[in-house]
Amino acid sequence: MRGLLPFLSQRLLRALIALWLVSTVVFVVMRLSGDPVPLLLPPDAPTSEIMRVRKDLGLDRPLPVQYAVFLKNIVRGDFGRSLHFREPAFSVVRGYLGATLELGLTAFFFAALVAVPVGLLSAMKRNTLLDQAAMGVALIGQSAPTFFLGILFILLLSLKADLFPTSGRGDWKNLVLPAMTLGAFAMASIARLTRSAVLEVLRADYIRTARAKGLGEAMVVAKHTLRNAAIPIVTITALQFGTLLGGAVVTETVFSWPGIGRLAVQSIYNRDYPVVQCTVFIAAVMFIVINFAVDLLYGVLDPRARTG
Amino acid sequence: MEVTRRDLLKGAAALGAAGALSQALPGSAQAQTTQKKELVVAQGGDISKFDPHYSTSSNDIRWSFNIFDNLTSRHPDGKLYPGLATEWKLQDQTQWIFKLRQGVKFHNGDPFTSADAKYSLERTYDPNVKTMVATVFTTIDRIEAPDPTTLVIHTKKPDPLLPARLAFYGGQIVPKKYVEASGNDTFNAKPVGTGPVRFVSWVKDDKLTVEANPDYFGGRPDFDRLIVRAIPETAPRVAALLKGEIDIITQLPPDQGERVAANSTTRVAGALYAGLYVLGVNSKRPPLDNPLVKQALSLAIDRELIVKELWKGRGIVPSGPIAKGDNHFDPKLPPLAYNPKEARERLKKAGYKGEEIFIETTVAYVSQDKAMSEAIAAMWKDVGVNVKVEVIEYSVRAQKNREKSFKGLWWADPTSTLGDPDGMMWRLLGPGGIMDYWRDPKFDELGNAARFSVDEKFRGEAYREMTRVFLENFPWMIVIQPYEDYGLQKYVEFTPNPNQQFEIRRFNFKFRRA
Repeated sequence: MRGLLPFLSQRLLRALIALWLVSTVVFVVMRLSGDPVPLLLPPDAPTSEIMRVRKDLGLDRPLPVQYAVFLKNIVRGDFGRSLHFREPAFSVVRGYLGATLELGLTAFFFAALVAVPVGLLSAMKRNTLLDQAAMGVALIGQSAPTFFLGILFILLLSLKADLFPTSGRGDWKNLVLPAMTLGAFAMASIARLTRSAVLEVLRADYIRTARAKGLGEAMVVAKHTLRNAAIPIVTITALQFGTLLGGAVVTETVFSWPGIGRLAVQSIYNRDYPVVQCTVFIAAVMFIVINFAVDLLYGVLDPRARTG
Repeated sequence: MEVTRRDLLKGAAALGAAGALSQALPGSAQAQTTQKKELVVAQGGDISKFDPHYSTSSNDIRWSFNIFDNLTSRHPDGKLYPGLATEWKLQDQTQWIFKLRQGVKFHNGDPFTSADAKYSLERTYDPNVKTMVATVFTTIDRIEAPDPTTLVIHTKKPDPLLPARLAFYGGQIVPKKYVEASGNDTFNAKPVGTGPVRFVSWVKDDKLTVEANPDYFGGRPDFDRLIVRAIPETAPRVAALLKGEIDIITQLPPDQGERVAANSTTRVAGALYAGLYVLGVNSKRPPLDNPLVKQALSLAIDRELIVKELWKGRGIVPSGPIAKGDNHFDPKLPPLAYNPKEARERLKKAGYKGEEIFIETTVAYVSQDKAMSEAIAAMWKDVGVNVKVEVIEYSVRAQKNREKSFKGLWWADPTSTLGDPDGMMWRLLGPGGIMDYWRDPKFDELGNAARFSVDEKFRGEAYREMTRVFLENFPWMIVIQPYEDYGLQKYVEFTPNPNQQFEIRRFNFKFRRA
C-alpha cells in the first residue's frame, strides 16, 4: 500500500506540469491570433504611434524573451497588466470570479439536487409514465442550445409571467433564470447517467441477495444500490462541475452576468493577452483542484481505489 | 439552387414577421408618466476606461461625455454650442481665442480655470502620458493661458475645424491638480470632471452608478442617480426594456424596432447617423481599378430595397460621400441611382471578363452588414458580376485595415466627428488615410486646399467638385445612411445625438412627470 505523501507529491508535480503546458499553449495561441495594438488605437493612428504603443507594452521584444518574462512573472503570481482595462490582469479576473462561482455553484447544486433523485426514481420506476416524462425532459435539457433556452426562459418566465428579472446580477431572483439555463445540460446528463448506473446495479446479484434475505426496498436502495452506483455518478457530476465553472460563456452573455467566461471571450476579441492568460490559468487551477478532490472522494467511496 | 435577391429578401421579411409574432406584450398599466428619480440605461457593451484620453470606444465615450465637459459642445441639431468656453473667435488665421466660463467647479470642488484647459489639451499629445487620442490635436502649435478665463490656441496652419475638434473625443477637460496629484491610474478609477453627473461606483461588466451634479452649469439633470448596465445580447436588452426594467436602451436594431414601437409602454427615438455605411473599395486590385466597373457595381445596388426590407425604412439612400447633416451637404444632389440595365452596359464597356470580386464582410461590425453583403452580392450576380462573400472576424478586419490588405470590398462606417467632409472623406480617403487605395490629382489638390482654408465659400465649392470626381470613381461603394435607434419608455423624453455621443443634459433629456 502506498503512503499519502508520495501520492500527494506525485499529484502536485502533475498539476504543475499541466499548468505549465496550459500557460504555454495560451501564450503561443494568443500571439498567433494577432497584434492587439491596432485595436487599442483609433483606426487612423499613424505607424509611429503603433510602434510607440507596441514598445510600451513590451510587444516589440523577441518572442522567447517575452515568454521568459511571462514565465518568470507567473511564478511570482504576476500576470501582467490588462491592455484593455489598464490595471493588473489578476485583479481584473478576481473581480469576475465571485460572479462565476455564485452562478456555477448555484447551477451545480440545483442540477445535482434535482438530477440524482430524478434519475434514481426513474430507474426504480422503469418504463412507467414518470420515467418516460423525466427522461423526455432530460433529453430536451441535454439537446436544447443554451442560447435558445436562456431566451425562452426570459420570454416566458420574465417577460410574460413576470416572476424574475430579465438579466443582470442582483439578489437571489436574478440568479434563478441563469442558474436554470446553465444547469439544464448538467442536470440532464447527471439524471440520465444516474438512471443507467442505478439500473446496472439493480441487476446485480448482491441486490437480489439483499432482497432475498428480506431487506426492505428503502434499505436496498440506500445501502446497496446508491453506494455502488456512486462512482460513475460522482465522476460525471465532478466533470459537469468543472464545465459549469469554466464554460458559462453563453449563459453569461445572454443574462449579462459579469463572469469570467464572458471576460475571457471579450478579452480574446480585444487580444488582451494578460487577461486571457490569467483567466485560463485560474480555470485550469480550478479543474485540477476539482479533479484532485474527486480522486480523494473515490478513496472514500470505494476501498479498492485506495490501494491504487 | 440559385438563390436570387428576391428570395433572400422575402426570407428576411418572413423572419421579421416571425419576430413580430413572437413578441410578448406586457398587459400592465400604461405608464406614460413617472415619479422615478433614477434613470437606468442599458448599452450593448461594457465600459473599459473612464479616463477620457485613454479611449475612443463608443461604450466609453457615451459616459465620459457626461462626466466631463468639452470647451465646445455639439448638440443633437448638429450645431456647435458653448461648453466650458462661452465664446471663441479667430484672429490672424492661426490664433483662436476662447473665453472660458466662470464659476465652474470640478466634482471635487476645485475651480475650473484656463490652466486645466491648457493642461488637458496638452496632455492628449504628451508623449509621456501615452494617450489613445494623441492624433486629435495635431494642428495645434502651442497653447497659452494668459489669465484664468482666457485660452489662446495657436495652430500650425489655418484650421477652420478647431472648435469642432474640441467638441469630440480628446477634447474632454480634466482637472490638472487632481490628475497630477493622484496619478493616471487613480484618475481612471475615480474620474473627476465638471459634467452633469458625478462618478459613484463601477462594477465591471455589471453596472456603473453616477449621481446628478447639483451645481452643473447647464442645470441639474432630471434624476438623482443614473445606472448604466451592459447587456450585450439584443434580445435580452429589448426584453429588459419591454418589461420596464430599463428606461433607455442603445443600439436598437431595425428588426427589433417594430417590437418596441408596437408595445404600449415603449417607443423608438432615432437620429440620422452622422456618417454613412459604405463598402470600402480596394481600387488598386483589378477589376476594381477600373472606374467603369465601380460605376456598374453602384448602379446595380437597389438601395431603396435594402432600406425598405433590411432596415424597415430606418435609413435613407445617400447622394454622395457627404452625409446629410454635415457641412456642405448638397440637398440638390439626387439619391444614388439604381439601373441594372445601365450597369450591364458599363460592365461590357469596361471589358469585364468575370474576374472575381470579393466582399469581406464582418458580422455586426456595422448593423446588418452580413445581410446587406448577401443582398448586394445577389444584386451583383443579377447583372453578371462574379462576386464572392467571405466572412472575417472583427480583429482580422482591424489588421487588414492597418495593413491595407483587403481583397476587394469591406464594411466601414465613415463618420466625421467634426460634422465636416474634411473629417470624413478627406481624413479617410486622403493620402495616407486609412482608406487610401485610390488617388486623383484634382481630388487631392482640392482636399488639401479646403483643409487649410478658413473661407467657407471656397470650401463649399471644393467639396462640390470633389463629390463630382468621387461619383466617377467610387473609392467607396456607398450603401445607406441609417438611423441610430434607441428604445425608450414613453415617460422618457430624450433626443439622441447623431454622432453616437450620448449626452444627458437638460436640453435633451427629462422624465415626463404626472
